[in-house]
Formats: sequence, C-alpha cells, structure tokens
Amino acid sequence: MFRRKRKASDFSAEIEAHIQHESERLREQGLSEEDARAAARRAFGNIMRAEERFYESSRQLWWDHLLQDLRFGLRMLGRNPGFTFTVILTLALSIGANTAIFSVVNALILKSPPYSHPERMGTIYTQITGAVASDERHKLNGEQWELLRDNVPSLLSAVSSPSTSGINLQANSHVEYVHGGRISAHYFDVLAVQPMTGRNFSEDEDRPHGPKSTILSYRLWRNTFSSNANILGQPILLKGEPFTVIGVLPEGATTPLNADLYTALQPSREVESITRLRDGATWQQANAEINRAWSLRAHRYELKDHPGAQVTYHSVQLQKGQTDSLRPQALALMLAAGFILLIASANLAGLTLVRMLRRTSEVATRMALGASRWQIQKQFWVENLLLALVGGAVGIGVGFLALRCFLLLLPEHFLPVTGVPLDGRVMGFTLAVSLFTSILFGMLPALAARNVDLRSSMTSRAVAGGGSQRLRQGLIAGEVALTVVLLAASGLLIRTLVHLETLPPGFNSNGVMTAKASLDDRRFYDPEVFRKLLDESTAAMRQIPGVQNAAVGMSLPYERTLNDGVILSDGREAGQQDQTDVVYVTPGYFGTLQMPLSAGRVLSEGDGPDRQHVVVVNEAFARKFYGGTSPVGRYINKDTLIVGEVADVSVSSGLYEGAPLMSEQTMYIPAAQVDPQSLALLHVWFQPSWIVRAAGPVDGLTAQMQRALASVDPNLPFSGFYSMRDLLAKTLATQRVEVALLSAMAALALLLSAVGIFALVSNMVAQRTREIGIRMALGSTVRQAMVQIGRCGAGASVLGLVLGLTLCVGALRVMRSVLYGVGVYDAPTIVTVILTLASVTLIATAVPTLRIARIDPAKTLRDE
Amino acid sequence: MSTQEAKERLDLLQGTLDLLILRTLIFGSQHGQGIARAIQLTSDEEFLVEHGALYPALQRLEERGSISAKWGISSNHRKARFYTLTAAGRKQLVKETARWKRLAAAIGRILDPAKED
Repeated sequence: MFRRKRKASDFSAEIEAHIQHESERLREQGLSEEDARAAARRAFGNIMRAEERFYESSRQLWWDHLLQDLRFGLRMLGRNPGFTFTVILTLALSIGANTAIFSVVNALILKSPPYSHPERMGTIYTQITGAVASDERHKLNGEQWELLRDNVPSLLSAVSSPSTSGINLQANSHVEYVHGGRISAHYFDVLAVQPMTGRNFSEDEDRPHGPKSTILSYRLWRNTFSSNANILGQPILLKGEPFTVIGVLPEGATTPLNADLYTALQPSREVESITRLRDGATWQQANAEINRAWSLRAHRYELKDHPGAQVTYHSVQLQKGQTDSLRPQALALMLAAGFILLIASANLAGLTLVRMLRRTSEVATRMALGASRWQIQKQFWVENLLLALVGGAVGIGVGFLALRCFLLLLPEHFLPVTGVPLDGRVMGFTLAVSLFTSILFGMLPALAARNVDLRSSMTSRAVAGGGSQRLRQGLIAGEVALTVVLLAASGLLIRTLVHLETLPPGFNSNGVMTAKASLDDRRFYDPEVFRKLLDESTAAMRQIPGVQNAAVGMSLPYERTLNDGVILSDGREAGQQDQTDVVYVTPGYFGTLQMPLSAGRVLSEGDGPDRQHVVVVNEAFARKFYGGTSPVGRYINKDTLIVGEVADVSVSSGLYEGAPLMSEQTMYIPAAQVDPQSLALLHVWFQPSWIVRAAGPVDGLTAQMQRALASVDPNLPFSGFYSMRDLLAKTLATQRVEVALLSAMAALALLLSAVGIFALVSNMVAQRTREIGIRMALGSTVRQAMVQIGRCGAGASVLGLVLGLTLCVGALRVMRSVLYGVGVYDAPTIVTVILTLASVTLIATAVPTLRIARIDPAKTLRDE
Repeated sequence: MSTQEAKERLDLLQGTLDLLILRTLIFGSQHGQGIARAIQLTSDEEFLVEHGALYPALQRLEERGSISAKWGISSNHRKARFYTLTAAGRKQLVKETARWKRLAAAIGRILDPAKED
C-alpha cells in the first residue's frame, strides 16, 4: 500500500506549475499579469488546505493517530484504576507463570549447551524393538568402548562414569570430600574445552596402571588451592594416593559431569559415551560405523536379555540425551501454564466485555461525532495491547521471582544444565504471549462493539444484556473446566507423594543422623584396615553422650543399592539365579535403624571374616525366592547361610522400572565378610554411611561424629550430615517439584476462576440494581433476589465442573506413568476437587450478592 | 467570470470528481491544470471545479494505482506533472460509469415519473 513516498515539496511544485499554467491561459484571454495570477489563485482555492490534505494522505498521520490513541488509552485506563489493576495483576500472574516455566523448558530443551558446535555433539542410544521395546541411552562396557574408539572413524569419542563419586582430597593438612568424575582421553576434546593451564588426558592415562594424574575444576583450584599458579606438576593426595595435577579448567567451563576434579577412567562396569562428529562426516555414517563395530562384540548381552528383538544403535544430540528424562515433565508443565493463560484470557475477555458495554454511550457519542467504526475498534485494540504489554512487563518480573523460588526448591544438580537464564528467547516468548493474550481477550469485546446501535444506546440507560451475559457464562464455564483438570492432576500428584512418603518405612527414621565418607582410598583397600576403621569409629560414636547406637552401612534406606546376582543353593530352589539388592552392614545396623527382626537372628560381632559366611535377608527376599516360607537356615551362593529375616525397607529402586521408592529383595552381608577383591571396586561406586541413633537432640552431634571418626583416621572427611528425612526428600525430589509446581498452578487457576465468577456476579448485581429494586418493591425478598442473581455464577461453575470432569476422563490417562499408589480415576481426589470448587464457587457468588441486601427499593424507584 | 455566474454553477457531488478525472484521462495523459480545464469545457462550464480540490483527488487516485504520474514538459514549454490512466484505472472507469448511469437513471425516474410512462 505504501509506495515510495512523494515529497511535500514535489506536491507544492505541482501546484505552482498549475498556477502558472492557469495564469498564462488567463493572460492569453487579455488579463494583466497581476490580475491573471490573482484569478488563478482564486480559482485554485485554499493552497494551504490542499497541502494539508496531501499531508493527511501520507502515512505520518497513521503514526500521529496511534500516539493519540495511546494517550487516550492511557487516560482511560488511568481513570479506571480498579479495572486496570485487576487486568494487569491477572496478566502478570499468568504471564509470569508462563515465563518461568518456559525459561526452564528453554534451558532444558531449546538452549544449546555451552559447547562449541553443540549440534555436532551426541551420545549413543540403544533401540530395541520387539516384545519389550525401548530406546535409551546406552551404557557401554570396556569392550564396546574400545570398539567405539578404534572402529568408528566418523566420531571423536570419549566416555565417562555416569555420575561423579565422592573421593577424599588431602592437601597439606586440609582434607576434603570432593566429587570426582572419571573420564577417558579426549573427553575435553569432545567438549571442545581446553585447560586454562596444562593439558588434557592422553591415551597414556587411559592404560591400566598408567600415570596417576588429575585435572582440577577452576572452582576447586581457586577455593582449595588458593589459585596457586605453580600447581601444575604438583602431587596432591587423592584417595590416599599421590596424583599429579596436569591441568586446570578455565573459569566457567562446564561438563556434563560437573565434577570438582577429574581423574582417568579406571576399569568400570558401565560408562556413558559422548561423541563429536568429525569434520566432513555425517551422523548416518557414524551410526552405520557404530552398528558395524558393535556387531563384532563377543558378548552381545542385549540379544541375550531380549531374545528375538532387533537391536540397533543410533546417535542422539547430546542435549537431548542429557535432558531426555525431564522432557515429558517440562512439556506437561508448559501445557499447564498454557491452561493458566487461557483461563486468564477468559477472565479478561469477560472484564473487557463489561467495560466495553459500559462505554457504549461513549462509543455512540464518538460515532455520532463522526468517528468511523474502525477508529473506535482501533482505540480498543490499542488499549488492550497497552494492557497486555504492561502486564507482560510485570509478568517478566513475576516470572523472574517465581523462577528464583523454583530453583531454590530444587536439590543441587537436579537440572542437567548450568543455569536457567531469562534470555532473549524467553523475552521474545513473553512478548509473543502478551500479544497473543491481548488478541485473545480483546477479540470478543471488539466483536461486540461492532453491533453498537447509535440511537438506542444514546437514549437508553440500560446496558446491553442477554447475549453478552451468556457469553460470559460460557467463558467462566470454560475456565472452570480447565481449572478442574489442573486441580485433579495436582490432586493425583499430591496423593502419589503422600503415598510414597507414608510407605511403611520398615525402620524407625526418627532420631537418626547419617554421614557419608569415601573409602575409595588406597588406605582402606586392606580389609583389615577397613574392618578396624568401622569397628573403632562406631565404638567411638557410641561413646558420645546421648547416642544410643552407631553403625555403618554401604547404603541406607531410601537410597539406591548395589544390585548383584544370587544363586540359591539348596532344596527345591537349588540352582535358581536372580538379582538382588546387596548391602554390607556392621552388626549394629539393624539395632541402630530399629528394623524389626521377623525370624532368626541379626548379624553379630561373631560373624568375622574367617567364620561361616552368613547373611540376613528381608521379607521380600523370602517371598520372592522361598514363597514366603522361612529362609532361615537355607544356603545361597554355595556356602552362605541365611541366619535371619528382617522387615522390608523402602529403597530407591535399582532392580525394577517403576516407583521411585519400593521394597525389593535385599540381603545384608556382614561388612567383615565382604570379598576383599571387590572391596576397592564397591567403594568406587558406593560411599558408605555412618549412622547414629540418639534418644533426643544432642548438642554438636555432627561435630562429635566427625571427631569420633577423626580419632581413628584424622584424614577421613565426612561429606555432610543428613537426617533420614533429608534422604527421603532427596529421593522424592522429582515428585516434590512436580507437586509444588502443579499445585501452584492449580491454585492460581482456582484463584483466577474465583475472580471470574466474582466479577460475573458482581457485574450482574450492578447491572440489575434497578430491576432488583423494583422486584423488591413489588414484594420479592432479599433472599429470592440473591438466589436469582447468584444462580448465573453457580450455573456457569457447575457447567464448567461437568465439562472439566469429562475432560479429565481423557486427559488424566497420560499421567499414569507418574502415579504410584493411586489410580487415574481416584474417588477421593475427584470428591475433593468437586468440594473445593463448590466452596470456592459459593464464596465467589455469595460475596457479591450480599450487596443486594443494601439495595434500597425506594431509592431505586426515585432514580427512575 | 463573475461571482453570479460561479454561484449558478453546480457543485460536484461527492465521489464524482474521481470519475470525471478518469474520464478526462481516457484521451491521453494530461497535467492537473489541463484536467481542470477539460472538465470545465466538456461540461459546458456547468461544473465548478475548485482547482485546489483536484490535487488531493489526483494524489488519492495515484496512491490507489488508478493513474500514474510523471514530470514532463507541457505544450507551452513549462514543467508539469502528467497523469496517465493505468489498466486498473480503466477498469475502475468502466465500473464507475455504469454505476453512475444507473444512479442517474434512478434519480431521473423518481424526479420525473411521468416521463417513464
């Protein structure tokens, strides 16, 4: 529409040319030069007016009008502070919720990881099709790693331990429990991270019994080594052995492991791969090479585990591989946030509709004065846009605060990203959401404005009625329906969390304090030293005044345990093989945790290394392997005797896919009888916990525990102290976060719906004051009037409830995989939702109808 | 021309100016003053075209793409902006002419019903 703009000077030149032509013509008819020019000007009319009209037709005017509309809009909004405040608050809350959730989605899914060319980085997934299909990140063994390294030329590959493990760092007199990551050569090359000083690991360090070297993170180098510039080549004591520092990472460098320091990968059962596509290679080539290389393996355990299945391997972007497990949750939350936006928009549409109708006479006056419908429409759109932008700006603030609170709620390293920034993409999203909302809530009122009838609206005082009322009721029903879905979903998650937190623990969790220490340390590879440490340190802790008992266990209830094979050796079950959880414990473990003994005896000091090998199993073990008959006196693993049976405790499942907490078959072996060869390896994976039970609160218990440990080994630091509640919270972190977020959103939805119903009813009261007054003058009671008015709010809410429950039937099914101990169609949840909504509806309709009692029929009639 | 004469002339109905401009340009390109003159001459001096009103109308038509404009030299060797009818303008002219004829006929029937019979 706007072509190259014509200049005003060009237009003036044309007018000048006209005057000259015209005066020339008049001169030819015999007029004098002067008269001719004057007559030409007269015939032309007002030159200024022509120039003005030319200016008006150009597009500057469009901008002028916009500014004018903006100024007018601001004035109108300022004149109606209640409305403006409500709208901006609603927008700020809903847009804030969306901003916060989107920034998490952005950080997890959209934002590139902080490495160079992240799109060329990947990890390997195993895809199994057949009876049991799966597509998961592949855990490599040593053989696969070597094949990947040597036979896949398209990729630069590296592997690492799946997570960090606690190790002891000793520098001069300072001892510290740090998180070490074990990595292969080229790990930092794949990440394209170069050390600030020093070098990366080479193939030398990868060899068994290669040089012992370590690379420090910037943070550890600064905090523990005071930014010592001469650190390179210095030996530091790690795991009780000297390691040479060969490099320090630059500030801000991150890795998927996020460890305090890195050591070379030692033989390990399972490692994870990270890969970088070499220049010129494609992912298709790489995948073909991986599949070819790994088909050469001697032991294809996947085929054994999944007979008849098709097993292939493929590369997946590192970003996706790192965040896969959190994606469904993040997207579900985004959906919930979208619901909030719709609910808020429905509310605002209702509010602006009412405001629009109140302004009917203003609109009519403006139209009578010559404003076009488009001008009126434009005015409303500008006002809506203004509101949406202000709401969006405040929403960013709200989102920022919400995000901070949310991140505080998360346990450390919960999200596999270094930060959740409010970056340009989030800002863009918020802006888009704001604009979208303004269109959403502005559309209805704008449509309604099209039907303003000039004459009737200027003369009558009555505000337009029926149709818009039904529309508003429909909007309320819609938002209540979405609220019901959110309430039901959060209700189910709450029930799940309650179920998990109130599982019978199988022990007494009150009054127990625990602390981990790393025994992945040369000093404790000797079983003799290991036993001495456990015996003497627990004895020392029992001496602390107020402490009743103390023990050590390789893992604790609620934690992940070691899984190992077991062979049943006698009776009908002889030869049967299966997997079981294994925990080594000191004899005091059962007493300290107060685990009830159901048969036989618990372990004792007498179960020494050279005595009969014994174990205590739990009830789940007895049920699973002995059909519930007593396992006491039976033999497993050839010559190991089961001497007792204890209650089940909840553990973080390692054996089965399923609930985050469950009871699994477990056997407890005496720490003194742990196979000396596997001691070192066990302690790479597991950091045992010291447990003390005190009758009541003990002053400085943790310091005294540390002192008791130090009395046996002054160079063994504890990682930190946790109560059993802390451990439970850590295990259920995901569930807690889900509950907190979804409940917050459901509460917000409920609040918005309540506001919507309240606004609907109070508007009804305001509109029909006259009518009610007349009715009351004619003999209607206040109560009848209240019921009559309140019915519209309650009706909308009931309709929304029915609609919402219908939606739930389909929508809640997708939640099945995150629910434990509660069904998708859970009667208590649904009843609670209905009751909550009913009481909120009752309050939201009753409060505004109370105003009816104050209506004075005499006054209303006088006003007539 | 005297003031008396001017008063008796017809004021242009709204919207008809565009039609007259397009009609005038059908004989070839012309500048503003020429268009004004032509309208007056062909209407036997019945219409009062305020020259000043002509230019915003020309501007509007140009923006709509009904006519195009180019600076050139007039027959008496002066600079002038020449307007030419575009294809779209031709179409518009046909449409508007038909519309106008229907309108005129209808008004004629109302004002002078006897003539129809």
